[in-house]
Amino acid sequence: MRTILEFGRQSLKRSKARTTMASIPFSFGETDQVLVEEKYSTRIFTLNRPNQLNAVSFPMVQFSISAIELFLACEEDHSVKLIILKGKGKAFCAGGDVAAVVRGITQASSNWRPGAIFFRRQYILNYVMATYNTLSNFTIPLQICMKVSILNGIVMGGGAGVSIHGRFCVATENSLFAMPETALGLFPDVGASYFLSRLPGFFGEYVGLTGARLDGAEMLACGLATHFVLSEKLSLLEDALYKADSSDPVVISATISEFSLAPNVKEKSAFHRLNIINKCFSCKTIEEIILALEREAADKDDEWISSTLQSLKKASPTSLKISLRSIREGRLQGLGKCLLREYGLVWTIMRGEINKDFFEGCRAILLDKDKNPKWEPAKLEQVTEDMVDRYFSKINDEDWEDLDLPRRSNIPPYAIAKLQILS
Amino acid sequence: MEKVNFRTQILNGHLQNHRHATSTAAIISASPCVSYVPPEVSEQPFSFDVSSMRKLMDGHNLGERDWLFNLMVQSKLFNPRLRGGKVFVVPDYNHSMEQQREITMKRIEYLLDHGVFKGWLTGKGPEAEMKKFALLEVIEIFDHSLAIKIGVHFFLWGGAIQFFGTKRHHDRWLSATENYLIKGCFAMTELGHGSNVRGIETTATYEANTGEFVINTPCETAQKYWIGGAANHATHTIVFSQLNIDGNNQGVHAFITQIRDENGNVCPNIRIADCGHKIGLNGVDNGRIWFDNVRIPRENLLNSVADVSPDGKYLSAIKDPDQRFAAFLAPLTSGRVTIAASAVYSAKISLAIAIRYALTRRAFSITANGPEVLLLDYPSHQRRLLPLLAKTYAMSFASNYLKLLYVKRSPQLIKTIHVVSSAFKATLTWHNMRTLQECREACGGQGLKTENRIGQLKGEYDVQSTFEGDNNVLMQQVSKALLAEYVAAKKRNKPFKELGLEHINRSCPVIPAQLTSSMLRSTQFQNDIFCLRERDLLNRFAAEVSQYQAQGESKESAFVVSYQVAEDLGKAFSDRAILQIAIEAENNVTDASIKNILGLLRSMYVLVTLEEDAAFLRYGYLSTDNAAAVRKEVAKLCSEIRPQALALVSTFGIPDAFLSPIAFDWVAANSWSTVEN
Repeated sequence: MRTILEFGRQSLKRSKARTTMASIPFSFGETDQVLVEEKYSTRIFTLNRPNQLNAVSFPMVQFSISAIELFLACEEDHSVKLIILKGKGKAFCAGGDVAAVVRGITQASSNWRPGAIFFRRQYILNYVMATYNTLSNFTIPLQICMKVSILNGIVMGGGAGVSIHGRFCVATENSLFAMPETALGLFPDVGASYFLSRLPGFFGEYVGLTGARLDGAEMLACGLATHFVLSEKLSLLEDALYKADSSDPVVISATISEFSLAPNVKEKSAFHRLNIINKCFSCKTIEEIILALEREAADKDDEWISSTLQSLKKASPTSLKISLRSIREGRLQGLGKCLLREYGLVWTIMRGEINKDFFEGCRAILLDKDKNPKWEPAKLEQVTEDMVDRYFSKINDEDWEDLDLPRRSNIPPYAIAKLQILS
Repeated sequence: MEKVNFRTQILNGHLQNHRHATSTAAIISASPCVSYVPPEVSEQPFSFDVSSMRKLMDGHNLGERDWLFNLMVQSKLFNPRLRGGKVFVVPDYNHSMEQQREITMKRIEYLLDHGVFKGWLTGKGPEAEMKKFALLEVIEIFDHSLAIKIGVHFFLWGGAIQFFGTKRHHDRWLSATENYLIKGCFAMTELGHGSNVRGIETTATYEANTGEFVINTPCETAQKYWIGGAANHATHTIVFSQLNIDGNNQGVHAFITQIRDENGNVCPNIRIADCGHKIGLNGVDNGRIWFDNVRIPRENLLNSVADVSPDGKYLSAIKDPDQRFAAFLAPLTSGRVTIAASAVYSAKISLAIAIRYALTRRAFSITANGPEVLLLDYPSHQRRLLPLLAKTYAMSFASNYLKLLYVKRSPQLIKTIHVVSSAFKATLTWHNMRTLQECREACGGQGLKTENRIGQLKGEYDVQSTFEGDNNVLMQQVSKALLAEYVAAKKRNKPFKELGLEHINRSCPVIPAQLTSSMLRSTQFQNDIFCLRERDLLNRFAAEVSQYQAQGESKESAFVVSYQVAEDLGKAFSDRAILQIAIEAENNVTDASIKNILGLLRSMYVLVTLEEDAAFLRYGYLSTDNAAAVRKEVAKLCSEIRPQALALVSTFGIPDAFLSPIAFDWVAANSWSTVEN
């Protein structure tokens, strides 16, 4: 087993030549945070911060850089046919370590820049993951290299960002997916406005606004996962994948399918309520969505509706409005544009000039853990259209730098097909 | 469980397809062959902010527009199809006429269920109207049939109730219409009479003893024709008839008549037949209606302009039948407003597709062993598409102006609205048809596939030059109105102060003998030459008509024989009005990069008009030398606009899903793996 250090450096020169990351300082400070194994033509990346649920950490800004370099390196390394991405412990990845980001900002006399850089690098990573294998140089046919993410545990926020955009996502009975950002005063980012908006009907709005948790069976049913494998079979699956020694998506799919099940979606699952979800979450505004849900609740006593309403009422009103608009715009755009928009939003949020809900949310949920955030504005009707517009408008700020996505071809057809064909 | 199996099957099927893809793709890509490079990768970065420009283009209600796009994209009813890794929502035009009608009705029900039509008739004020326009435009971007079927129900039937009816009609019908409890249609046109509404032959005779009107179709040419919604779905209609009271004809009036019961069966004494298959708009069930002495209550007369008392007295505040008729039809301008706006969006769809394709498709190398050249890098291809793009920008501002003019209507503005909407409806729809044809040809064979939209749009939009007033008839009305203005000003020796003719009060502009590039691009020159043409043609038209009248011709026949100048004048008015609107829009912009590109587009709009309209040479507004300078400048502008072409079509607010496969990865969309075996 080679370490990340060796592997990364070896291929670094080649990738530097054609990626935009070349100007960013590069170091491998925290080598143990991601483990890389090499087996035949397969590389296994293991997120290795089990005590922090493999959260993408603040010093681990470097992680993103390393990861981008590593992934691009693998893409260029013709001997690599398959990448397996997994997490150590009970989480795949619980997301970006936003608590650390916020602590950094609040302690370092409101220096929000490292936070912005953190998100910036994360989004570039998301983009690289999603466009994996699309030839950036259009004349040389490259060896195709596939990616399989094994989501055996918690997949939240940033964790979804590094996995869902890829070709194969394997869920298990331990999978737990959520985009909980609205409860934190943030919004579903990491390209979620792209993948949530492509779930069936208006399920994406439901998942993104309420932070609803999905299990493995639900992930498979709605299209967030491509396969479901029981965790006890995972080591066999990995062995089979090494041995398959192939980058052919049909072979890989067939290999995973040998271990796959078609699990029942639990009776109480929200996925069985697509009709109500489509009816309510297709409404134009958050206020109308809540009104529609309340109307449904008046018709029948339903625990699911009341808990859905509860989540919406607990979330930051500003976050809800930003999130809804971001998902709606995302549905009509490509992933690149989605990430650019999300980066603009997160930048404005980090600046904290329009409101500070993100810091308040992190304080209440992650730092002080009093679970009682004081949102400002506190009511939906106080969040005016003008305020929301300001988050979405062009940033006139001398510090502003647009997200410089690597120039790659469109998202490969399969990346979209996975989600769209189901809806 | 069933769902999961279904999913697995789909996924498997999808992956099976991939097998062919990878094995054959490997062989194919081994040789250096043409590959698809997205224009976003190959083109220069945009020089202006696309989303700010979109705000200018769409003008209003962007959030509502995106919401409706979302609703359509997420529903199977809108026929989502996966092509080249992207989902496109375009109607299946290979459906039979009956299938298209059925799915169109289902789409309406879906939009209704999701609250799209909320407030379309019960909402009040300019804001509600602008929102309604925006949503209708989005619907039109998906499918013209869907928009027209909705337009007939809300704008024609609903509009007639609103504008021709009074409180009793509003209370009974507006909310019911908004919720589709009834389905309305609008029976004005007859087999024998279309644009000439006053000549229709259907009669409505009042019977005082029963308090009823008797509606009758006296002859075959009086059958109602092209009535959208009548063939399959409509339950009620507005029927236009000659009102007879005690043997006196009081002119054309509108009445509400039920034509189907709640189960969809045709009512007694009504006969309905289909208009049959058409070159487009087959999702609209156009029908023909005959009335066999159908009896309707007196209250069904739409009585905002004139009424009949129970004992059979004709009551109207407007004594002059000409004025009465004009007052009566004035509110129908909304149809022309929406048509003009939708023509612009249709042109935008075709330009976005054709320009994106021209930025990715190559043909012929111009050097030995060199790479083939991108279509849009050929100056000739630029000359075909970029002037149409510039005109579309100018007309986009014009349509936004027209909408605002309409929603702020007042009795003082009726004449202006009538003239401007007539001129713009004709100009913008003609422009659309021309753009569609050019874009179709610019896409070569791909333009012929209905999935690529442009070719199909020709059939779908051709009707626009005919309905709500034939374009030629409308343009003649524009010239007539201008002449009336002229006569009135001369007679009273007063300055012009309406219809933008104020420039005639000033001294006649002089065009320099030697036009330089910077003069050609100045708003001063551009405004001068358009105003010069308009005032001169108006003088000529007035002179010609009065000359014929002096020879003993009637005013009407003098108009008829002066059609050549009349046509030139109508165009001159329209072009000048559009230019002034575009200049104003440009002046309101503060962002320098946007102002800059709008300036280029405006110059292109003017110069290409100078190049194409023979009137400038015919009447000597341009010398032949200056005409040559204009032509040179057009070519120069093409090369200056070329680098911004992608950005310029990215501002149209049309999501990718509503364009077509050739606008994106057309190699993937046509690869073997997508062939259904």
